[in-house]
Amino acid sequence: MALPLSLRDLVVPGADGPLLQVPALDLTAGALLGIRGPSGAGKTTLLHAIAGLRERATGRVLWGETDLLALSAEARARFRACHMGMIFQDFLLFDELGAGANAALAAMFRPRPERAALRARATEVLDHLGLPATARPVASFSGGERQRVGIARALASDAPVLLADEPTAALHRAAAEALTGDLLRLVREGGRSLIAVSHDEALLARMDRVLTLEGGRITDDSRGVGG
Amino acid sequence: MRDLWDNLPLWLQDAASVLALLAPLLVLALWLLRGFAPWPLVRALLARFRWTNALFVGLIAVSVAMGIGLLAQERGLRAASARAADKFALVVAAPGSEMTLLLATVFLQPSDVALLDGETFGRIAGTENVEIAAPLAFGDSYHGAPVVGTVAGFVSYLAEGRIEGRIWEDHDEAVVGASVALEIGAVFSPAHGHGAGAEDDAHDHSRLRVVGRMAPTGTPWDRAVLIPVEAVWEVHGLANGHAPQDEEALGPPFDPAYFPGTPAVVVKASALWANYALRDSFTETGRSMAFFPATVLTQLYAVMGDVRQAMSLMAAVTQVLVAGAVLAGLLILSRLFRRQIAMLRALGAPRRFVLAVVWGQASALLAAGTVLGVILGFGAAAGLSQVLSARTDMQVRAVIGWDEIRLAAGFLSACSVLSLLPALAVLRGRISEGLRG
Repeated sequence: MALPLSLRDLVVPGADGPLLQVPALDLTAGALLGIRGPSGAGKTTLLHAIAGLRERATGRVLWGETDLLALSAEARARFRACHMGMIFQDFLLFDELGAGANAALAAMFRPRPERAALRARATEVLDHLGLPATARPVASFSGGERQRVGIARALASDAPVLLADEPTAALHRAAAEALTGDLLRLVREGGRSLIAVSHDEALLARMDRVLTLEGGRITDDSRGVGG
Repeated sequence: MRDLWDNLPLWLQDAASVLALLAPLLVLALWLLRGFAPWPLVRALLARFRWTNALFVGLIAVSVAMGIGLLAQERGLRAASARAADKFALVVAAPGSEMTLLLATVFLQPSDVALLDGETFGRIAGTENVEIAAPLAFGDSYHGAPVVGTVAGFVSYLAEGRIEGRIWEDHDEAVVGASVALEIGAVFSPAHGHGAGAEDDAHDHSRLRVVGRMAPTGTPWDRAVLIPVEAVWEVHGLANGHAPQDEEALGPPFDPAYFPGTPAVVVKASALWANYALRDSFTETGRSMAFFPATVLTQLYAVMGDVRQAMSLMAAVTQVLVAGAVLAGLLILSRLFRRQIAMLRALGAPRRFVLAVVWGQASALLAAGTVLGVILGFGAAAGLSQVLSARTDMQVRAVIGWDEIRLAAGFLSACSVLSLLPALAVLRGRISEGLRG
């Protein structure tokens, strides 16, 4: 179920020249890739392009056999729903909903037969992360708890690929370390790929491979500690 | 097809027309919601901006209530005035203004009119198919209540026989309308004239005793004091309609030679079909005219109808403006959750799901506002009815009918289709930009 990633001639155009240029990048299925770089280097742009969220990107973003950039916006959304989980810096939860409803958000738009399994997985992951799937609104949760709900949401649809944008940046040191541990454990246990944009050296140190982006180009591609 | 429709019961036709008006809403809902379960998110969005949303619901409710209240009120007033004219199938009077006589007879509004003489009355009363020919004698009042002289048969007809106590049997007895502040057994002296100009002591020599009370009729006659027409004539020092050797007689037949005249005669025909022939035979150039009060009312409605259309248009414009303002407000609100919308798309939610969530929120507000508006409109109409009933002495009942339901349904349906616009506007944003906030 794991998917390898190949980028070819990926260019994301901007107002004054390209925001991002990646001639070639290959990532084996189940690898953990970190992306670092100064602000404005194009890290989030790369992550969004890989997810098929940059509509004007050109080139090829191949997930297995699927070229994401050749698909329509709706087909890309379908692909993401089935194959990708996403984790955001400021969690982007629905504050009014409880942990369970947030984690099982995708059940609201996935086909009816898949809903029960999705909810069960969301509850299971929450449980794994030490959070009960209560109806208490997540507005009252701590940052670390909220990001765990975010992780549960990303894993609830059993996607082989996880994309994370600064998953620990909104958390204090101890919470960030605990969260990193939980996240990587769940990713490795499930044999999933993880692509994480981060400034967090502790997180990056535990990835298989770390890219450095500067001015929209990959300037360094090194093996991390884990590789 | 046409026959099939015409053969359906009325309520079914009405229900079907409401359903047809709601059809765009239902089709849209089916299309948007099919296969999705967006309600928890809709509830979350409603809760997030609860005060703004409550304000939207309030605005919609007030605009719907205004439209509905106006429609219902106008219809209630029309029904009440038609009911008031119900017992006055045909009125005969000296040539003059039909409107003045309509107001004087049906609505008991005092006015000076010429009199019909005894000979004419005799001819009317003696015509075949005339069941009741009731002279009406106005002019006196008691504490603001009009005192009307007439014949016993007409009182029974007005009250449909439902009289507490009994009908008068002597010249100094009276029957009062349901809302007159006189008890049975009370003795009173009518004042000459009406209102501020009434001379309270002009008729002190005449004392009348209340012997009966009519059941409520919902018409201005509930406020009237009815006395034998002979008593009215006697109080004014006129002949009492009967020859001196027979002066204790009460009611018809009257002797034309001793008949002082009556401003109007209400005619009840023995059969409905006879009315037209009677009207024609009682219309004599220079002597008398006969008219159907219902017809005069219909002319009045035609004039009122124009006013109603103007009012309805204003109410509709108000509704459109409020709906537009609310949709614009929703559009602005939707900017506040565009990151969450982008997140939904990033997680793989189809466009239709996002539409369903934003549209669901707008439609929930519209539906709540419309339902509340119907309830408020009903309340407003009921309140206005009481005011109007007190002012007009008619029992005005404004009930929410199918017209009002159709208005509300049409409004809801049209607005919910329009509320796709803010939803579509939300979808136009780029996901990547939306995620960055």
